[in-house]
Amino acid sequence: MRRAVLSLALLLSMAGSLRAEELEVERVLTWYHLLRPTAKELSIYQLDWSGSLDEARKRATREGRPICLVIIHSKFGDIASGHC
Amino acid sequence: MAELKPFVVTSWFGHRNDSEIPDVVREVWAQKFQRGRPQQATRQSNVDFALLDAQGKLVHWFDAVGSIRYSRPDDLISNTVKQIQLATRRIRFDSGSAPRLASNLLKLPDASPGKAGLRVFVRLDDRRMPAYRLPVVEFVELSARDWQPLAWPEQRRTVDASRLKKWLAQVYPPGVMERVDRTTKRAFAITSVTGSLSLAAATPDATARYAVASGRVRLGDSGGDGFSFEGDLDLVLTYAKDSPAVQTVRGVFRGSYPRLDRLRQSTRHIPLEAVFESRPR
Repeated sequence: MRRAVLSLALLLSMAGSLRAEELEVERVLTWYHLLRPTAKELSIYQLDWSGSLDEARKRATREGRPICLVIIHSKFGDIASGHC
Repeated sequence: MAELKPFVVTSWFGHRNDSEIPDVVREVWAQKFQRGRPQQATRQSNVDFALLDAQGKLVHWFDAVGSIRYSRPDDLISNTVKQIQLATRRIRFDSGSAPRLASNLLKLPDASPGKAGLRVFVRLDDRRMPAYRLPVVEFVELSARDWQPLAWPEQRRTVDASRLKKWLAQVYPPGVMERVDRTTKRAFAITSVTGSLSLAAATPDATARYAVASGRVRLGDSGGDGFSFEGDLDLVLTYAKDSPAVQTVRGVFRGSYPRLDRLRQSTRHIPLEAVFESRPR
């Protein structure tokens, strides 16, 4: 919410000095910055993902690290591909 | 996520009657579906976490939801953290050394070297299902030809939204079970995009020319029952001073997704948002 208020305030503060078409660019870019997920919301992408269990096992052995395996009981559930 | 930093993370999906199931998954499911487990322990979801040591031996597993109800996200998170901490302590004790940590780098789905395309973030803002509010990230590889409909507008013109279907087809929420083929269990794909965008030039700056494309678009899926949803699409495009080809894209989709509530036999209209950004620039 704070991000939203700041972004809208920024947009409004610029409105007086911009032409209509410039304002349109700023309007869309404001929405883009407002809705783009934050690093915290994307933190799942900070994890060290491996493409398969076999690959994870090889890396774990080589690097001396444990494995976190997410098991999905479903016909389609490739969480690495985004939609599941 | 800090608790998962020492781990190499991976996923596997499949059914109990599949022919090829990894041994560790068989081991987890043998315990999970064991007859005679207490009722509390058998309250289960279709997602499990299995934590293995560096030799690949199962150290600990737990149901992602288990006895914690879906409607209490904070409890769900704290239970997951607690379970991972428990396993980490066991692994550390067994191996006698602390596992190394992965880097903090954010690695989002992206263009392969030498390729280009569009990254799409999608979020269903469902207050009743917090998991849906987490963004899904997809990357769609695109060629110069895919951007042709949005080439530099010498004057305002209308763009048929269906020509952008290749990437707009990613705008649908994940995990919405009523939009899944009951036989194949595969989610219905977005198969129709209708609507039009108004594409007009904006004021250039010292390095680039700008245009804005805006309009209402409707997306329909392969369910065959006429299901569709719509929203506003807004894009800012940049072009070189001497070429009509699109250089970069930033944009958003703000729509409303009609979600069927089978229990109440009603439809809830839930905000569906998508963010677009061209890559590699």
